[in-house]
Amino acid sequence: MAKDMQEQDAEVVARLSGISKSFASVAALTDVDVTFRAGEVHAILGENGAGKSTLMNIICGVLRPDAGTIEIGGQSLNHLTPATAVAAGIAISYQHPAILDDLSVIENLKVALPSAVFDDDPRGVAQGILQSVGLEIPLDLRCDTLTVAQKQLLEIGKTLALKPRLLILDEPTASLDQDSTDLLFARIREVTAAGTGVIYITHRLAEIRQIAQHVTVLRDGKVRGGGRVDAVSNEDLLRLIVGRTLESTFPPKITEPGAPILVVHNLTGRGFRNVSFEAGRGEIIGIAGVQGNGQTQLARALAGLQPFEGDIRIGTEAFPQSRLLDQTAYMPADRHAEGLAGDLTIRENAALSALDRFASMGIMNRTREMEHVGRTFASLAVKAPSIEAAVSSLSGGNQQKVVMARALLAEPRMIIADEPTQGVDVGARAEIYRILREVSASGTPVVVNSSDAVELQGLCDKVLVLSRGRVVEALTGEEVREDRIVSAAVSAATHDDHAMGGQGVARVKRSGWRHLAQLDNAPAVPLLGVIVLLAVFGYSQNPHFLSPLNLSNILLLATALGFVALGQTVPLMLGAIDLSVGPLMGLGVMIASFFILDESSAGTIVLGFVLILAMAVVIGLVNGFLIRFANFTAIAATLAMFIGLQGVAFLFRDAPGGYITYPVTEVITMKLGPVPVAFLVLVALAFLSEYMLRGTRSGIRLRALGSSAESARRIGVNTDRVFIGGYVISALFAALGSVMLMAQIGVGDPAQGANYTLASITAVVLGGTSLKGGRGTFLGSVLGALLLTEVLSLVTFLGLSQTYQYVFQGTLILAAALIYSAARGRAAD
Amino acid sequence: MQEGGYFLAGIGSRRSLRPTRELVTVAVSTLVLILLCALLAPSALTYGALSGSLPFAAILAIVGLGQMLVVQQGGFDLSVPGGVSLAVVIASHYPAGDDALLPTAVALALVCALVAGLVNGVLIGILRLNAIIATIGMNALLYAGVFAVSGGVPRITTQLLASIAGGEIFGIGHSVLFAVALLAVVWFVMKHTVAGRRFEAIGANPLASRAIGLPVKQHQVMAYVLAQVLYCCAGLLIAGITTQPTAFQGDSLLLPSVAVVVLGGTSLLGGRGFPVSTVIAAFFLTLLSQFALSVGLPYSAQTIIQALALGFGIAVYSLRWTALKTLFTSSREVKG
Repeated sequence: MAKDMQEQDAEVVARLSGISKSFASVAALTDVDVTFRAGEVHAILGENGAGKSTLMNIICGVLRPDAGTIEIGGQSLNHLTPATAVAAGIAISYQHPAILDDLSVIENLKVALPSAVFDDDPRGVAQGILQSVGLEIPLDLRCDTLTVAQKQLLEIGKTLALKPRLLILDEPTASLDQDSTDLLFARIREVTAAGTGVIYITHRLAEIRQIAQHVTVLRDGKVRGGGRVDAVSNEDLLRLIVGRTLESTFPPKITEPGAPILVVHNLTGRGFRNVSFEAGRGEIIGIAGVQGNGQTQLARALAGLQPFEGDIRIGTEAFPQSRLLDQTAYMPADRHAEGLAGDLTIRENAALSALDRFASMGIMNRTREMEHVGRTFASLAVKAPSIEAAVSSLSGGNQQKVVMARALLAEPRMIIADEPTQGVDVGARAEIYRILREVSASGTPVVVNSSDAVELQGLCDKVLVLSRGRVVEALTGEEVREDRIVSAAVSAATHDDHAMGGQGVARVKRSGWRHLAQLDNAPAVPLLGVIVLLAVFGYSQNPHFLSPLNLSNILLLATALGFVALGQTVPLMLGAIDLSVGPLMGLGVMIASFFILDESSAGTIVLGFVLILAMAVVIGLVNGFLIRFANFTAIAATLAMFIGLQGVAFLFRDAPGGYITYPVTEVITMKLGPVPVAFLVLVALAFLSEYMLRGTRSGIRLRALGSSAESARRIGVNTDRVFIGGYVISALFAALGSVMLMAQIGVGDPAQGANYTLASITAVVLGGTSLKGGRGTFLGSVLGALLLTEVLSLVTFLGLSQTYQYVFQGTLILAAALIYSAARGRAAD
Repeated sequence: MQEGGYFLAGIGSRRSLRPTRELVTVAVSTLVLILLCALLAPSALTYGALSGSLPFAAILAIVGLGQMLVVQQGGFDLSVPGGVSLAVVIASHYPAGDDALLPTAVALALVCALVAGLVNGVLIGILRLNAIIATIGMNALLYAGVFAVSGGVPRITTQLLASIAGGEIFGIGHSVLFAVALLAVVWFVMKHTVAGRRFEAIGANPLASRAIGLPVKQHQVMAYVLAQVLYCCAGLLIAGITTQPTAFQGDSLLLPSVAVVVLGGTSLLGGRGFPVSTVIAAFFLTLLSQFALSVGLPYSAQTIIQALALGFGIAVYSLRWTALKTLFTSSREVKG
C-alpha cells in the first residue's frame, strides 16, 4: 500500500493541503493547496503581503501552520521544524543573504554547510560551489568587499551545494545582472533535470516565462489560480495578482492641480537614476515598484537623508541635502528603528521636531508645548491613555499618528511618508490618508512611497513606478490604477546595467597589498616592528635594557598580561567585553595562597590548581548566563561580577598573607636561556588559538556570531552555547594569568589583580582586535601585551617619571585605535 | 469624541510630574534600607555617621551624574579616575596652601576638564572610536597630567577650599548642597530646555533623531564634555574635604559611578537618563556600606552586598518580566 502510494506520487516532492495561518487574528494564509513536483520549476507570484513569505516559512519549518497538512516525500506531517525540513532535503535561499561580512568566502561556506559536503578537499569543493554560480572571487576574500549581487550568488551556491530535493529561491535575481541571471537559470535547469523541485518566488512575469513550468498566484493569502505557464497569458496572471481588497476609505482626490510646487529634476543617487517629476499644488505623489528597486532610497534622498545629484525645488527655492534634512519631515517605514524613541513619552516624541517653537531663550514653556501638542493630537484623533504614556505602549496606528503629529508640528516644507500605513489598523489608515490629503491641500508637497498598489491608487494623484532605480512609468489622473501600477512594476524587464553602484560584477581581482592589509593578523607586522624599534632604542640608551635579566623580566610580566589578553580577545570578538578578568586573577592567587604553600602536600597543591580552573569555569558560565538568559548587557554583568569577586577576595583575607611555596614559583618562572618557558607556552597557545579560530568549525562559528548574531542564527549556529563558551574560555585564560601572577607576587593579596582588566583590554586593542566584534587576532593580543610591558620597562630604564609612563600608554592606545579604524575604513560611517 | 477607547483627555494635566518607575524603585529601596538601618543598625543613622558619610555620597552622586550623561548617549566613560584625580591635584598642588591662588587653580582645573571632555567627545562622537578604548586612553593621559602636576606626592589643601567644600550650613555639609545644586541644574537642563530634551531624544534613538535633522554628533560630544566638568567639580570637592588627598583619589569612584547610574535606572544601552534616581542611588550605595559597617560586616561582605545590589538592580530593570511571564504561561510562537 505504501509502495503504491509512492509509485503513484513519485514526482511529488511536497504537497500542501488546506494550509491556514493567521497572526494576531489577521489571516495571512487561508486554505492553501499547492503541489510541488520533482524536476519542475514552480513559480509563486503575488504582491507584497500576499502571503508568499509566510508560505515559504511554513515549508521550511520556521512557522507552524494553524491548520492543514504538509506531505513531504509521501509522508504526511502536521508541521515541520527547521531540522526536519533540512533532513527532508528542503533548502532555501533567502532574498537577504545570510553571508557574514567578517568571514572569508570559504569560511562562509564552511560554517553554513555540513562538513560532509566538503569531503577531504574543502578548497576544491568550495571552488566548485563558486563555479556553479559563476563567481570568480578568491576563496580567502573577506565578504565585506562583496557586492549584494555576489553575496546573493554565494547564498544560492550554498543552497545548491546541499543538493536539495526541494529548492526554494526567494527573488534570487533582484540584484543580479543579465549574465548572472542567465547563468543562474542554466543552473536551475540543470538541477531540475536532475530531479530537484524548485519553488521560484518572483515579481517578474518575464522571468516566469523563461524559467518556470508551473505558476501559482497568491492574493490576500489565498490561491487565486495558476496552472501550467504555457497555458496562462500574462493578462490572466495580472488579473489574478491585482484586485486586492483594501478595507479603507480614501479622501477625494483633487480635481484641478495647482501650479507646480515641487520640481525634481534629474535626481541621481545610490539606488536610483535620472528621476524627474513635478507636483502641482494639492497633488500627492506616489512612488511604486517591486520592493528593492530604489524607491526607499529615492524617498530618503528627498528627505535629505542620502546624498544625491540633481535639483530639488520647492516653490521657487532650491533645496540642497542639508536644507531638506532640516526643513522636510520624514515618516520612516521602520517606526521602531528610525521613527520613535520608544523610551520617551508620547508628548516628548511628538514635540521633538518643534522644541524651538515651544521655548523662549532655550527654556521650554510647558503650557505652550501642551497646547500645541494637544491641539495637533486632537486633530489627528490620537488615542492614548495619557499624553505622558510611553510611546511604545501605543498601537501601530497611534504610533504612526504620533510620527505624523511630530511631522506636522515641525511645520515642514514637504512631507515624505515611507510606507505610511504599514502595521496600521484599518480605522487609523483612513485617518492617515485624510491628514495627508489635508496637508497636501494646504500647499505642502506630500510624497508617499508604498508597496501597496491599492493604497497608491486610492491616495495619489500621480504615481512614479520604479524598476532598477529608473522611472519606468509615470501615471497621472485616471491612469493611477492598481493594475497599471502592478503591470508596470512586474513587466519591466530591465536588468541591472551595472549603473547602480557597480553591483552585479561577478569577479573580483585579488589586489595583493590591500588583501594582505585587511587580514586579521596584519597588525602583527607593524606591532613587531614597533616592539623591535623600542628595544633597539632602549638598548642604545642603556645596554642593560636587553640584558638577559631585564629581558626575562619583561617577558615574564608580559606573560601574565598575555594570558588575560588572549582570554579577553574572545569576548571582544563576540562584540562583548569581560570586565571580570582582573579580579578573577586576583581570586586565583587568593586560592593559591591557601592551597599552594610550603606545608602543602602534592595532592593539596594539585587540588589548588584544579580549584582555580573550576572557579574560572563557574565564573565564565555565570557571566555568560547573565548575559544570554537574564538579558544583562555584557558590561553590566561583568561589572557586577568584578565587584563581587573583589569582595570574595577580601572575604578570604583582608590583608596579604599565605606565601606561595617556592618550588612551585620556581617551576612557573622556569627559563630557557633568558626566555621564560611560560612565555613560550603563551606563544604556543596563541598559535593554537589562531589555528582553532580559523581552521576549526567552532572558531569560525565564534567569529560568525561576533560578526552578525542574526545571520549566525540563520545558518544554524547555536548562539547561546557559542557565546557562553566564549566567556568560559576568557575566564580560563584569566586563570592561567593568575598562575603567573601568583609567582610574581608570591603572596595572597586581595587587592591585586583588578588592574589587569583594563590592561587586558588595552593589550587586545593594541593587538588589532576590533571591539565591533567578528574580527580579532590572538597573536596581536600577545604582541600588544608585550608592547605594553616593554614600554613600562623602558620608562623605568630611561629614568623617566611616571608621567611618561602614562603618556606613552594613553598615546599608544589612542594612536592604535585611530590607525586601525582608519585602516579598516570604518572610521567614518 | 471618538468611538470606543480612551481619547486623549486632559491635555493640560501635569501628569509628567508623576514619578517614574525607576525613581519609585530606587526610592522605595532606599526607604527599605533606612528602615532596616533603624531596626538593625541605628548607629548608621546617627548624625555623626551621616555627616561622615554624606559628603562621599555627594561626591559619588556628582560623578554619577557625569557618567549618566555619557551612558545616556550609549557611551561609557572610563576616564572618571583621571578626571577626578587631575582636579584634585590641581586644586591642592597649584595653590600650595595659598588661598589667593585658588581661583586660578579652579579655572585651570575646569579648562583641563573641558579639553579632556572635548577630546573624548571628538574621538567618540565624531571619529567614532569605541567609547571604552577612547576613555581608557584619555584616562592614561589625564593621569600623566596628574603626575606632571603632583609627582605623585600628596599635598595639604588650602584653607579656603577646605572651608568651601567641607563647611556646613545648618548642619548640612556644603558638599551635599553642591550635589543638590548640580542635580538641580542637570535636571532642569535635561527636562526643561530645548538642548536637554534633544539630548535625551538623541540618546534614546540617534537614528530617529538624525532622521528629523537633529545635530546628533554635537550632542554626543557635549555628553563627554559635561561629564568631565562634573568629574572636575567632584575632584575639587574631594580636594577640599580630604586633608591630604592622594594622586589616585578618583580610582575608587569608577565602578561606583557606573553602579549608581545602573541602579538609577539608566540603561547601559543608552536612552532616558534619570538624574534624581542616580543621586538617590548614590545615597543608597553609601548608606548600604554604612549599614554593613554598623552591623559589623567586614569590608569583603560590604563589597559583595554592593555587587548583589547592583546585580539585583540590573535584573529589575533589564529582565523583560512580561516576556518572561508569557514564556512560562504559554508556548512561544515564532513570528516570521
